[in-house]
Amino acid sequence: MTISNFRLAGAIIAMLWLFTGTAHAEKSVVHFNAWGGSPAINAYIQWVAEEVKSRHGITLRHVKLTDTASAVSRILAEKTAGRDTDGSVDLIWVNGENFASLKRNGLLQQQGWAFDLENFQLTDADELPGIVTDFATPTDGLESPWGRAQLVFGHDTADLASPPRSAAALREWILAHPGRFTFPQPPDFVGTTFLKQILVELTADQAVLQQPADTADHEAVLEPLWDWLAATTPSLWRGGRHYPANYTEMVQLLGDREISIAMAFNPAEFSNNISSGVLADTTRSYIHENGTISNVHFVAIPFNSGAADAARKVANFLLSPEAQARKANPEIWGDPTVLSMARLGADGRALFSSLPRGIATLSPAELDPGLPEPHPSWIPLIERGWLERHGSGS
Amino acid sequence: MAVAADQHRTAGPILKLALATIIGLPVLAGLAGAVLPAMGYFPPLGGKAISLDAVRAVLTEPGLARSINLTVFTGGVAAVISTLLALLLPAVLFGTSRFGWLRRYLAPVLSLPHVTVAVGMLFLLQPSGWLMRLISPVLTGLDRPPTFAIVPDDHGLALVLGLVAKEVPFLVLMVLAALGQIDTTRLMLVARSLGYGRLRGWVMVIIPQLWPRLRLPVMIVLVFSLSVVDMALVLAPSTPAPLAVRTLDWYQDPDLNRRFAASAAAVLQLLICLAGIGVMLLIEYLARCWGCAVARRGHRNPHLRRGLATLLPVVITLGGVVPLAIAVLGMAAALLWSVAAVWRFPDSLPSGLTMRYWMGLTGDLGIITLQSMFLGMVSSALAVVLAVIWLEHRRPPGAGFEKMIFLPLLVPQIGFLFGLQVVLLWLGVDGLIMAIIWAHLLFVFPYVWLSLAPAWRAFPENMLILAASLGQSRWQRLFQVRLPMLLTPLLTSFAVGFSVSSALYLPTIFAGNARVTTLTVEAVTLATGAGRQALGVATGMQMVLPLIVFISVAAISRWRFRGLSGIS
Repeated sequence: MTISNFRLAGAIIAMLWLFTGTAHAEKSVVHFNAWGGSPAINAYIQWVAEEVKSRHGITLRHVKLTDTASAVSRILAEKTAGRDTDGSVDLIWVNGENFASLKRNGLLQQQGWAFDLENFQLTDADELPGIVTDFATPTDGLESPWGRAQLVFGHDTADLASPPRSAAALREWILAHPGRFTFPQPPDFVGTTFLKQILVELTADQAVLQQPADTADHEAVLEPLWDWLAATTPSLWRGGRHYPANYTEMVQLLGDREISIAMAFNPAEFSNNISSGVLADTTRSYIHENGTISNVHFVAIPFNSGAADAARKVANFLLSPEAQARKANPEIWGDPTVLSMARLGADGRALFSSLPRGIATLSPAELDPGLPEPHPSWIPLIERGWLERHGSGS
Repeated sequence: MAVAADQHRTAGPILKLALATIIGLPVLAGLAGAVLPAMGYFPPLGGKAISLDAVRAVLTEPGLARSINLTVFTGGVAAVISTLLALLLPAVLFGTSRFGWLRRYLAPVLSLPHVTVAVGMLFLLQPSGWLMRLISPVLTGLDRPPTFAIVPDDHGLALVLGLVAKEVPFLVLMVLAALGQIDTTRLMLVARSLGYGRLRGWVMVIIPQLWPRLRLPVMIVLVFSLSVVDMALVLAPSTPAPLAVRTLDWYQDPDLNRRFAASAAAVLQLLICLAGIGVMLLIEYLARCWGCAVARRGHRNPHLRRGLATLLPVVITLGGVVPLAIAVLGMAAALLWSVAAVWRFPDSLPSGLTMRYWMGLTGDLGIITLQSMFLGMVSSALAVVLAVIWLEHRRPPGAGFEKMIFLPLLVPQIGFLFGLQVVLLWLGVDGLIMAIIWAHLLFVFPYVWLSLAPAWRAFPENMLILAASLGQSRWQRLFQVRLPMLLTPLLTSFAVGFSVSSALYLPTIFAGNARVTTLTVEAVTLATGAGRQALGVATGMQMVLPLIVFISVAAISRWRFRGLSGIS
């Protein structure tokens, strides 16, 4: 029995090793950790994988995340365990709080590599300051710009002909139409962005929001936001006692006509949802009179990536006019480019000017102005304040 | 075991060591990974001194009391209702032709992942759900969805309903296994002949014998209900959410310093579960006192409670049937959504059908399906083999070890998985298939054990004695007598293990570095961002594999024992 036990254990171990197919990092395999909730984005990343394979011989594996913070916490676990090379993440789609957190905890490649990428020359930080300043945090070249986002609102013209176009007008509209407006529950990023939008609109001195919150009298700055929410929350969808978990759920509510106004963080989103049948073709999008919050999203390389060189090549390809134009195509994804048209050649510009635009997508002129993100230190205050007042029961 | 003399005394420690390494180590390391940061010690984030800051941070978190209330209410009520139904449903059906239904119709629901059931309920019951679409506008006059909340509701009743739908099948299966070990038919006959009614006889005679065998499963259900995350994300209120959901949020907060608070919350979660178990044992004690007192008085009361006696079976049956019906209809709603081209409110059915969303998956679907199957097959096969070795062993590990294997189920998952991840990294096996199988084994093994051990121990030993007297060796007795006769429990425990494995989300992510995708991982990923159609597809994908395994297992055992009766 003893011998049999050993034999059995040996057989089990041998079997396990046989099936241990996954090898540890190779230099030409890039594990790209990116949110995987959108089939359209997943398909685009698949295309990128095919391109970098044929151009550079790089194998790009899309690790589909439900939440970018989970990858951040994995990198932290690796640091905890002393895994300083061969980390599980080679490239990560990131911005804002997650970037600030990675940077602060020394979880990124230390030298600023992004500014040295060949295609970074095609961007213009004067024209789009967001590519070097992520939520008021300097990128220092630790992340390379990938795309842009801007808050847009959507409404069904058959149900609501002229939507409210400012925080004040929205407040009146909500009070007049109880139960027909909501936003994704903070800390969902669209929900938090909506609160930031209201805050920005209600704040007279914009400069104060660009500074760390502890340098200002933040309670006084946030007071107008809390007043706005105190007035509107009882008239929100389900009396403000329940919120959609994310913007997809919210767009679905617009499609079901549970609500009359929805929002998204991608200007092409409403057109995409019309073509997929979720929204009626009478849906249109709009932004507030004084503009809406916009930001840039990036890719970064963790400190312990075993394939940093290959990851840089991928980041550079993501910035190429060809990849950027394909990404901006609403039939593919519809994510606006970070490149400067003035720095592109005629061929490059033609790629962008020939792009189709969906019926509910605003033109770049209509999307103007985009407002900068507040300093990230405001986010916890906003989220915590909302949680205390409206997210933890009354 | 009792058949031959013990010859190999060295075997015990090896088995014990193996079990302790496979199951004890990760749980203990994981627990340390929660308790130390909760007390402020976590060097990578600069926490090098013991402090109570993290505990304080959690206790001052807005709405914490409401979160705890919600957790205790939903978890407690769901566990109580599930237990009562599981104890009494067989009583109502025992001796009737419908008794066989229990096993036949409950097993498939058992195989559905919790989150799948939750999503189905949402599709069915929310204000814009299928039910409302079916009766609108004809009965309601509504051409847009009502603004009141049905699912999720403010009190967490939807979560209770969802938990009951999932836990009753599990507990009933445990009850059926236990009934096989006691002479139910004869005991009931005696009770009835002494003038006790069907229900009262069951409560007085059968349940006291069932309970010791059911205590552990009920504990598992209680802890699961108190710490459920995936189902609560879909069905529970969110302002505030139950404690387990908030704990996960804190673990995933971009501000890594929230880790400390998250760990403290995980410890709080653990304490709530321990308190829950304490209350359960107290209730057990009180129920025993009451039961003994009533039994001693010997009242039959056939007249007093006649009204109740006719009403109660109906209530119990409804309690068993309604949650199941909702779960099944929810699946139908989810599948319908997965092929809906466009489905506007208040249309009763989609206005067009499409396979587009299913086709969209073909890229990776094959690989993902194979990976899920492989993980499920290997981890549950290993678990069955391990359980057989243990049960067949001449010097089986003691009762303490038997309790240890349930640790992974009695400790809230979120608490120890980060610590486990650090252990795997430290061993350098993170992301390897082996590590994921290991993590799965932690959760699969206890369920396999629960469904195999009772049948194994109820095995008529005289069969083995007979075989031994006919000169059969130990191995012959195992492979030619015991295992063939226990084929059905073996297959069932394999199927249970497979469905547990295929439903695991957090362990797959943590042990696999998110590099290995299973159908459940894909489903949860899609659920966070994609529309109802994609969610419908993901739901469909998740239910298919476990269902296939359950159906084939039933078919194999029916084919093997065709024409025979009395063997289960």
